[in-house]
Amino acid sequence: MLLEVRDLHVEFRTRDGVAKAVNGVTYGVDEGETLAVLGESGSGKSVTAQAVMGILDTPPGRITGGEVVFQGRDLLTLKEEERRRIRGAEMAMVFQDALSALNPVLTVGDQLAEMFTVHRGMSRKDARAKAVELMDRVRIPAARERVRQYPHQFSGGMRQRIMIAMAIALEPALIIADEPTTALDVTVQAQVMELLAELQREYRMGLILITHDLGVVADVADRIAVMYAGRIVESAPVHDIYKAPAHPYTRGLLDSIPRLDHKGRELYAIKGLPPNLTRIPPGCPFHPRCPLARDVCTTDDPPLYEVSGTRGSACHFWRECLDG
Amino acid sequence: MSDNLTLPAQQGSTGASTEALLKVEGLTKHFPIYGGFPIKRKVGAVQAVDNVDLTVGVGESVGLVGESGCGKSTTGRLITRLLEPTGGKIEYAGQDITHAKRKQLAPVRSEIQMIFQDPYSSLNPRQTVGTIIKSPMEVNGINPAGGREKRVRELLELVGLNPEHYNRFPHEFSGGQRQRIGVARALALNPKLIVADEPVSALDVSIQAQVVNLLQKVQEEMGIAFLFIAHDLAVVRHFSQRVAVMYLGKVVEVGDRDSIYNRPRHPYTHALLSAVPEVAMDDESENRERIRLAGDVPSPISPPSGCRFRTRCWKAQDKCATEEPPLVQIGGNTAGHLTACHFPEEPTVAARSEDVVLDPALKTLENDGDVTKD
Repeated sequence: MLLEVRDLHVEFRTRDGVAKAVNGVTYGVDEGETLAVLGESGSGKSVTAQAVMGILDTPPGRITGGEVVFQGRDLLTLKEEERRRIRGAEMAMVFQDALSALNPVLTVGDQLAEMFTVHRGMSRKDARAKAVELMDRVRIPAARERVRQYPHQFSGGMRQRIMIAMAIALEPALIIADEPTTALDVTVQAQVMELLAELQREYRMGLILITHDLGVVADVADRIAVMYAGRIVESAPVHDIYKAPAHPYTRGLLDSIPRLDHKGRELYAIKGLPPNLTRIPPGCPFHPRCPLARDVCTTDDPPLYEVSGTRGSACHFWRECLDG
Repeated sequence: MSDNLTLPAQQGSTGASTEALLKVEGLTKHFPIYGGFPIKRKVGAVQAVDNVDLTVGVGESVGLVGESGCGKSTTGRLITRLLEPTGGKIEYAGQDITHAKRKQLAPVRSEIQMIFQDPYSSLNPRQTVGTIIKSPMEVNGINPAGGREKRVRELLELVGLNPEHYNRFPHEFSGGQRQRIGVARALALNPKLIVADEPVSALDVSIQAQVVNLLQKVQEEMGIAFLFIAHDLAVVRHFSQRVAVMYLGKVVEVGDRDSIYNRPRHPYTHALLSAVPEVAMDDESENRERIRLAGDVPSPISPPSGCRFRTRCWKAQDKCATEEPPLVQIGGNTAGHLTACHFPEEPTVAARSEDVVLDPALKTLENDGDVTKD
């Protein structure tokens, strides 16, 4: 395994008490593999990624337990200086909002070249040439001229390409993409997603794709981990999950997408609201919204049951869910 | 140009009336750009909406789709007269309201309501939910039987909120609940037309379904016509009887839901539909065409001549640069299905023998139109 997150716990101190954002998340990515982490806002998907990258704001955040093993080392035990060397060079991140992730007062060329001067000690001239090469690589037209432009002079899709160029600059082993196409239009989203998938294949990188969009996931991911209230509730190869979800939350999400054959009819809607992270319900956190909930669900927190060799579901009644 | 073409109203399968409630002809909005030194003068215009024709029947729900910057929100704001049109005509229930004065508009305003995208910035954080929903009635001097407060409580219940929450503030609610408050406010005046501008795109997937169901209930049970503006094609397909596709300020294709989603003719509609990542529940839905456009939408300050889509189109020929295609019913289309294209595609969304993938390295497609063909 390239990266293994084991039983990670993250808390945030807030005025309302301690918000338990991540509660025992375990997942892994191999090289050349794409893992999609699917969840709604507040499910802990981004916080987990920030903990892995080492960019979690502490305080108010605090990692209270678990391990993040990357290429055999537990990152959580490393010093900040060592982590900084890994960040960017060994693992890189693509953010949702490219406009605020890029520095508005530096040209994109400067920002790309900085990767090489800082991490690789290249001369400015060589680094600049590398920057142009990278922009070509992510298929930005007229890269030689545009390398001197500022982020605001690029369209949203082109900016996201620059973010991707920065992420792949030092050929990292792992890329974490946090909602990389959410801010983009559909026709541009398709272009950017395919570019990312292609680069990932070419460099045989591990890719963690964080998203709330079930459609995006279906096209590119190998495996899916569905998160709810800071836990993984289902983990499975992508095709299995769409054929027959083994957790009622996953089933609810899939059913609530408007589909061709259901048009005009009422959509299935998961009732209620996601839980407040300072007061996560006892037992299974999904039980107040679950159509299959019984008494046991209100008291016993389900472990990730093994459904098959490659699948897991954190539902006491996963068999029932699997059968529909 | 398509000035003389009006869209037949309702062609859908549902029982909505064919009587037009809203009729928009040649609607145009240009935002001026000022520049120059020392004296600022107009140096250009953002052609946000250009010559748009649209009809919404009584009780009908019409979807308006397109990418950001295509003018769909501006169209919605023009119709609600939050913006002053540059040209064209807006007719509501037979009355021309294009340039109507404030006083003339007053009775119409209560019948056309709007639901906004962002449930956070569209509610006043210093007012209670009761005040927010009540104020449209106060402004319009409406005194429902039993008092305004009773009506507000009814509305809260109708949209699935607890009437006891009358005195709470917006920050005490989640995004989905806030959007319900927005819906309740829009319903307060018993409108006949609701312009919903991306009403669910800021919400989480599981909450989206709840709000879509609420809007659908409102539309069907209360017979309110909807202009549903969204970029999410799946939601629009679910909600709308008729759909208009916009590109760079123009309607490029309009028709009933089945025509647009199953028998599209305009290359842009094809590209848009094929770009939507769809969840494949079974293997047969893999059999969709795959089209990947190059680049982004051109600037609306200086849109391409002729057909505005030609710079990204794989079928573009010389004619497309010189002649603007009219929005007409082309051969093979059902009545009411209008397409603005000189070289329309086959009416199917099934996979082609060869994918259309435009090489982004190609800087312009203007010179060679047939790079890839099916």
